[in-house]
Amino acid sequence: MGEAAGAATGVITPQLSQLNITICSAKLTATGGLFSSKPDPYLELIVDGHSPRKTDVCRKTLTPKWDDQMTILATPYSKIEFKVMSSNSIRTDTILGCATLELYPILEKENGKLKNCPKTIELQADGKGKVGELTLILSDMEVNMRNFPKDRKNGARPVSGIQNGSAAAASANGPPLPAQRNPNSNRASVADGVRRPAPRAPGAPNSQGRTPPPVPPPPANPSPAASPTAAAVPPLPRTASSNSTSDSSSTAPPTTAPPTSTGPVSTEPLPPGWEMRTDVHGRPYYVDHNTRTTTWERPQPLPRGWERRTDPRGRTYYVDHNTRTTTWQCPSTESLNNYANWQEWRGNRTLEQFGQRFLYPQQAAPAQENDPLGPLPDGWEKRVDSNNRVYFVNHRNRTTQWEDPRTQGIMQEDPLPEGWEMRYTAEGVRYFVDHNTRTTTFQDPRGGPQKGPKGAYGVPIQYERSFRWKLGQFRYLCHSNTLPGHVKITVSRDNLFEDSFAQIMRLQPFDLRRRLYIIFKGEEGLDYGGLAREWFFHVSHDVLNPMYCLFEYASNSNYSLQINPASSINPDHLQYFKFIGRFIAMALYHGKFIDSGFTLPFYKRMLSKKLTIKDLETIDSEFYQSLLWVKENNIEDCGLELYFCADFEILGKVEQHDLKPGGSEIKVTEENKEEYLNLMTNWRFTRGVEDQTKAFLEGFNEVVPLQWLQYFDERELELMLCGMQEIDVDDWERNTIYRHYQRNSKQVVWFWKMVREIDNEKRTRLLQFVTGTCRLPVGGFAELMGSNGPQRFCIEKVGKETWLPRSHTCFNRLDLPPYRSYEQLVEKLNYAIEETEGFGQE
Amino acid sequence: MAATRRLQKELGDLKSPNSVLKKSFRDISVDESNILLWHGLIVPENPPYNKGAFRIEIAFPAEYPFKPPKVIFKTKIYHPNIDEKGQVCLPIINAENWKPATKTDQVVSSLIALINDPEPEHPLRADLAEEYTKDRKKFMKNAEEHTKKFSERRPAD
Repeated sequence: MGEAAGAATGVITPQLSQLNITICSAKLTATGGLFSSKPDPYLELIVDGHSPRKTDVCRKTLTPKWDDQMTILATPYSKIEFKVMSSNSIRTDTILGCATLELYPILEKENGKLKNCPKTIELQADGKGKVGELTLILSDMEVNMRNFPKDRKNGARPVSGIQNGSAAAASANGPPLPAQRNPNSNRASVADGVRRPAPRAPGAPNSQGRTPPPVPPPPANPSPAASPTAAAVPPLPRTASSNSTSDSSSTAPPTTAPPTSTGPVSTEPLPPGWEMRTDVHGRPYYVDHNTRTTTWERPQPLPRGWERRTDPRGRTYYVDHNTRTTTWQCPSTESLNNYANWQEWRGNRTLEQFGQRFLYPQQAAPAQENDPLGPLPDGWEKRVDSNNRVYFVNHRNRTTQWEDPRTQGIMQEDPLPEGWEMRYTAEGVRYFVDHNTRTTTFQDPRGGPQKGPKGAYGVPIQYERSFRWKLGQFRYLCHSNTLPGHVKITVSRDNLFEDSFAQIMRLQPFDLRRRLYIIFKGEEGLDYGGLAREWFFHVSHDVLNPMYCLFEYASNSNYSLQINPASSINPDHLQYFKFIGRFIAMALYHGKFIDSGFTLPFYKRMLSKKLTIKDLETIDSEFYQSLLWVKENNIEDCGLELYFCADFEILGKVEQHDLKPGGSEIKVTEENKEEYLNLMTNWRFTRGVEDQTKAFLEGFNEVVPLQWLQYFDERELELMLCGMQEIDVDDWERNTIYRHYQRNSKQVVWFWKMVREIDNEKRTRLLQFVTGTCRLPVGGFAELMGSNGPQRFCIEKVGKETWLPRSHTCFNRLDLPPYRSYEQLVEKLNYAIEETEGFGQE
Repeated sequence: MAATRRLQKELGDLKSPNSVLKKSFRDISVDESNILLWHGLIVPENPPYNKGAFRIEIAFPAEYPFKPPKVIFKTKIYHPNIDEKGQVCLPIINAENWKPATKTDQVVSSLIALINDPEPEHPLRADLAEEYTKDRKKFMKNAEEHTKKFSERRPAD
């Protein structure tokens, strides 16, 4: 019943079931030749061409034992591919043998029920035939095979009669629902006439009163929220039938018109109690003496497992003992086939839609209600718990929450005072209109967050208070969506990146929300959080290391990281970005910091905020200045020779990109430059990194819904992820060079004395004075860059004691005059970094 | 390439007989396969550099004119504003000052002006700057010797 109701109300219930596969072991025949030594086998499992799942690698063996249990989602028609691969650290992994398992025949043999069902299948290899055997155990899958006809190609259209039945489910005198055959309503008793498919009332996962309902079951189960409405419709009797049963005991021909074309008359014998007669016009009709009814249609014997019964009011109904369901409608082989086809069609359709939901949110759920907020984001569903409280389910990462994801993070603002209105400028900057005085202002009348003393996070206290509140909201969501148990991640220190990648991608994304238990191979130590912190630190250090070409520094003077447009030099880069997305989501979820941060525009992209020219300033100030110059100056007659196209150098190749069709022939003029600037800004942010960004966000969203981030702005996101950056003075000192000073010159000694005495914020500002940035490269001071490549921090003796210190930010150089005392040096340096920003800088 | 039209125009202007730089910036050559890389010969007017000529390389970024070109001295020069690697801190192509409307002839003009008249108050080589301010005679002598020893031959005309 749940399913039919689902069809009527548009709730999608895909026909996926859970299946536990235990990959036990394999026996491989020695191949010799190709492998001088024994292989390092692991197994890759692919369900219907979806992304593969992998077991661990067994070292140097022909009889690997994995005993690895995987839970997959499959349909009875699923094909599961198994590939036994040999891991290879230098070359690409090689296939040792593969096998394909079709679920259908196995399910058919086991009557749709798989419980600890062992299987041994042959492994084949191209051109070699059998190369070994694979032992598996299939378990915990249960489907009703009646719903899954063997030949699924037959008829992809629903049968009108049955479809009508389902559509009529809502009307009081409609026929019983064909979906009574839904396996999920098996629990309902036939006798009481009213089906109650006990909906899984969403209960609290822990004792907290305000916790949203638990993580929903995998999509294969019926939607519990949809069921109760459907359950309210009892199988009411039909008062009149289109062509058969009537309460009268007459055996006269049916009162309705006979079918205009009668098919070939069957020669099959009539069922017991039936008789064929001919009316006055010579037309055959059939009398059912059992029920004392007549019909034009030749009755067909009931399909196997069906029984005809009569209710206390003398009405005939049919019991399907196969599925323990009832229906008013007389089943025929044809109608059952049609029904199965319909169900299969519906199953396929929902599967397709299920797939589409991930890609095209707009086409997903049919406009559920007239919701002014528009459709829910991709993968989300609105449900109601047993107390009628609305909650939201994210099927993609199996989380639930009370807040509507569409308004998450924006509802907590205090209302504006009477007569005020909030608006946005074309650049997306919000401003406030006071209709009382007919004035506008950028100042938030509720008391902006810009004012007031600064708190621990270096942001104004008023602001911080709200940041803490937001953080609390986020933590609450994390807490209430924690999964029970823990997840073990075993890595070796010397292969940290690859090990972590393999482990994270092998797990289901939601598993990554379990308590982490990090094990460094060969080391004892219980992970009570410390090892996890270490792991996050080291892995982030590795994956974000520009040496891997996945990320790069935003610019010479900005050590924040952004996606490297040349990352495709690694053919698997998108998989890595997905991994990094998962990893970053885990860091936020588990409240751990990463080693170095991303650029502000990257955080904005995570928050799906619109990027403006202004945002360019932080990542590419030269480009920004130039665009700004074009914006603010009359560009006619100054020979810019700009066209609606842009060059971009990637992997040593300069490629031209048209900013709009035919752009290379459209000259930029004073009139069209606004459009040009918008297109150029957008291009500057997306050039060469769109696919990678999508993969990253996809990976992130699998673990933590991106909507949860909506509380924060990009700076807060950075704070959450990186914390404040502590400057390592030892590293700084170690990687500093001197010109016309010695390491032990007294001014140099004083300089480091001062650096050690000031606090982190001051150090940051001193660093900024000399290098132009407060961020450090991943490798620390050793990797400081100047405008012409690597350039270490340098202190040079210049001028005399009356001079102020100067800096050359393009060469990371501090010109430090030979001051006479420590106090003098402190005073002058303080003056230089505090007083005038840009003063004395080259 | 998007920058091609602009660079060709600039190159044409620089090579034109009407160019004000025709005496002090010569032998302009552009790699046929890469219009982004130019070479040229700086011929200074003032002593001590008027005893020779200096090869420079101008490298334009793919994002030109949104990003400034880079200038590198290929010939060694004894100058307070040019370091041993040939790097020069030229304000006009500094990130803060760069404008997309700045033309290469302006960049070269400003470079020639800096060569002719060093700015010891913004030195890249503090030792030379000190010598330049404190003992001009010694500086001139050293610079002239250095020029004769390392620089290119000046064109005949």
